[in-house]
Amino acid sequence: MNYKLLHVFRNTPFGRETFLQSLYFCKTINAFPVVYIPKSDKFLMYFSNDAVQVDLDHSYLTSPATAKKHAKELFNEIGVKPMFYEPKNFTASSLPDISTNFDYLCCPRSVSDLSSKIGLGHIGPKVRRVIKYAIFPILITSPVFKPWKSISVFFGGSKNAVNALKLGLKIAMASGLPLDIYTALEKHKKSYYQELIKKEGLSEPVNQLSRQWYFYKQSDFDAMLYDVPHNSLIVLGAYGHGIIRDLLLGSKMEQIQSTVTNNLLITGPYCTISL
Amino acid sequence: MSIIKNWYRTVYHKLFHLDDRLLLIIAGSIAGVCSGLAAVALRLSLESVLEWLHGFRHYGWAFIIPAIGALLSSLYLEKIAREGAGHGVPEVIYSVSRYGGLLRFRSSYSRLIASFLTIGSGGSAGPEAPVVMSGSAIGSNLAKFLGLNDRQRITLVGCGTAGAIASIFNAPIAGLVFSIEVILGEWKFVNIIPIAIAAVAGAQVSQAIIPEQVIFNHQAFLVSASDILPSLCLAVVTAMISVVFTKVLRRMGKIARKSSLPLWGRAIIGGCTVGIIGMGMPVVLGEGYHFIQSMISGTFSMSIFVIFVAVFAKIFATAMTLGWGGSGGIFAPCLLIGSLTGVVFHKALFGLFPEIGCASEGAYALLGMTGLISGVMQAPLTGIFLIVEITGGYETILPLIVVSSISSTMSHYIEPASFYFKELIERGQFLRPGTDARILSDLNIRELIDTGFVKVSENMVFREFIEIIKMSDQNFYPVIEDGTDEYKGVIQISAIRKYALDPGMYDMIFLSQIMDTKMMTASLENDLQEVLDMMDINNMDSISVVENDRFIGMILKTRILDLYRRELIMQTSVQ
Repeated sequence: MNYKLLHVFRNTPFGRETFLQSLYFCKTINAFPVVYIPKSDKFLMYFSNDAVQVDLDHSYLTSPATAKKHAKELFNEIGVKPMFYEPKNFTASSLPDISTNFDYLCCPRSVSDLSSKIGLGHIGPKVRRVIKYAIFPILITSPVFKPWKSISVFFGGSKNAVNALKLGLKIAMASGLPLDIYTALEKHKKSYYQELIKKEGLSEPVNQLSRQWYFYKQSDFDAMLYDVPHNSLIVLGAYGHGIIRDLLLGSKMEQIQSTVTNNLLITGPYCTISL
Repeated sequence: MSIIKNWYRTVYHKLFHLDDRLLLIIAGSIAGVCSGLAAVALRLSLESVLEWLHGFRHYGWAFIIPAIGALLSSLYLEKIAREGAGHGVPEVIYSVSRYGGLLRFRSSYSRLIASFLTIGSGGSAGPEAPVVMSGSAIGSNLAKFLGLNDRQRITLVGCGTAGAIASIFNAPIAGLVFSIEVILGEWKFVNIIPIAIAAVAGAQVSQAIIPEQVIFNHQAFLVSASDILPSLCLAVVTAMISVVFTKVLRRMGKIARKSSLPLWGRAIIGGCTVGIIGMGMPVVLGEGYHFIQSMISGTFSMSIFVIFVAVFAKIFATAMTLGWGGSGGIFAPCLLIGSLTGVVFHKALFGLFPEIGCASEGAYALLGMTGLISGVMQAPLTGIFLIVEITGGYETILPLIVVSSISSTMSHYIEPASFYFKELIERGQFLRPGTDARILSDLNIRELIDTGFVKVSENMVFREFIEIIKMSDQNFYPVIEDGTDEYKGVIQISAIRKYALDPGMYDMIFLSQIMDTKMMTASLENDLQEVLDMMDINNMDSISVVENDRFIGMILKTRILDLYRRELIMQTSVQ
């Protein structure tokens, strides 16, 4: 495994919490965190189908003189080799192109709004666009550093949910942590979902790696969310289909992100996960 | 809801199963119409605001009007649109050559608004580059909406550009030629038809909405063989002026960037300077189409000395506007400086040789415009066809070709890169299709890595290694540390011959003792060009790729050559 996670460093106490979360994630799954310390308040990411400009709020440019030192201290604290990313290409002099050759990207719920606005139910427009076009999963961190001790996959049966399940299995394999699967039965019965993972060739890894597969009635969706351990990493797919895909990431995803405080690992529609 | 979904699926399916060219023609004409509308909107709004502000120009405080416009423009770009600075055309070329024409949606309107504020207030710049940026972004985002691939997207970017230029000058062929010559850089059959249709669509939009406001009225000129020699001389003059203009523009930009002032502060300084110059010489203000028209029609009534000064005043004012934070392009300033140069030249010619039977002042204004466009943009065809379309005939074609070819050749000799390309060349990002740099940049280093290499432990004795060699045909063996998998070095078969020929050494040597730890390695962060440079400098046929101290695989020159050929065939094929 030689996975790399890109972290856009914010030299503030809030940014430290986010970075600690990135470091913990990387340490747990044996990935390498790569830190980008922004020098301007915007950057571009060229995905295969869109150029996404990420406008950062000004707190990302706080005390640039100490940013690298602070990042290094946190790297050392966790015992990870410091790696920094320097953009090579620039669309304009103040607009660097950030590589999309990463395996994960860590984001707080918003990067372009003031952090005081960040709360449950709010995922900023830039983070939404990155989720929509990214070819890698996005780690959306909880507001304060919160180590996770298990993995919870929300599996609703869609293509993105299958991707999320694969990602959950991958994380479970890499971390050795228990995996729970949560399914809210909508139009189909339990057997449909079990058949689906068989078709996808995931029965064996699911049997081997999952601790429990919980099924809930559709009406018990809120109860299901309450039952998810507070200290688990939630892995889910952002559906992003249909005419309103630009506005909403999927009704279930919106409900989950506005209800739970856990760290979220989200796979978007262009994200392909292989085991 | 299900009816709408079914309808959406049917339309989507039918559209995407059209013939590729037909699809591009339909999408291209939409891009042409939209960019034409953007160009018309900018032109109408500029005319209105320039006319409105004209009433205030005689006041003593009027010099601050361009400063206010530049200030608002820079604040809009920096704080609201949050665009990176730049006038747009290099950004479009960069996107076409590096990212398959991907452009941000905000670019389809942000430069229009910013240049409206700059030029409308009297800043010395042209609306063409912002309109090109806008048209290209419209094409790119239309391609994104339709889910088209990179090649199709690039064609639609070209369509947007062509529609914009065609609309603003009512010159569809110039739009087509500019798009292919400057933006795309390749004449491909599959591109030409959609771009031509987009150009016509853009021009038609302009004619339909503002038929009475064609920028330059068609006019016939009597040109004879006696104009050839003066044309040669004019070409040399325009080449010199082109080089001066390019150098001053770039120099001003550098000076402004060195200052510690914020962008808005620089914009105020630039705007005030232009305003002060404009108080004494109104010809430098705005895009200057009105003055160009009067020069073409021979009604421009300044003295030769004033016009000569105006050439340099316009160059300086444009550099102050664009270099110091204003927004706009250099197309219209090129036309104005070129026509002023042509008129000065004509006046000087008639002053020296009153009996000379040359064409009119207007014809020389046109020749000067061609010379400047060809010299500054190093796009001779654009210069020729734009003027041919403006004059509405081919009477001036011979001197046009003479001026255009000599001006572009001379300025290329003095300043090898055009204004649009210079910055990209300096950054190593000018990647034209079919060139080495472009092909190498399109190859992903990950697809070149051969990962099927057997790794060996540094603690392995040589005898065990001999057994591995027997079963493998590798020439290189990466050596790793037990337990951590950390890359330690590499063993090259040719370098261990002396140990292999001495069986007595087989149990005495560990691989850690004979591995090469100094051999250069590449990482996934390296560009292919960097990898190739490393291999060339160190005379290597293969190089290990190491990431986070882990061996990933090897890159072989033979593999690079294979993929290079494949990419070259793909980029140069008809489809």
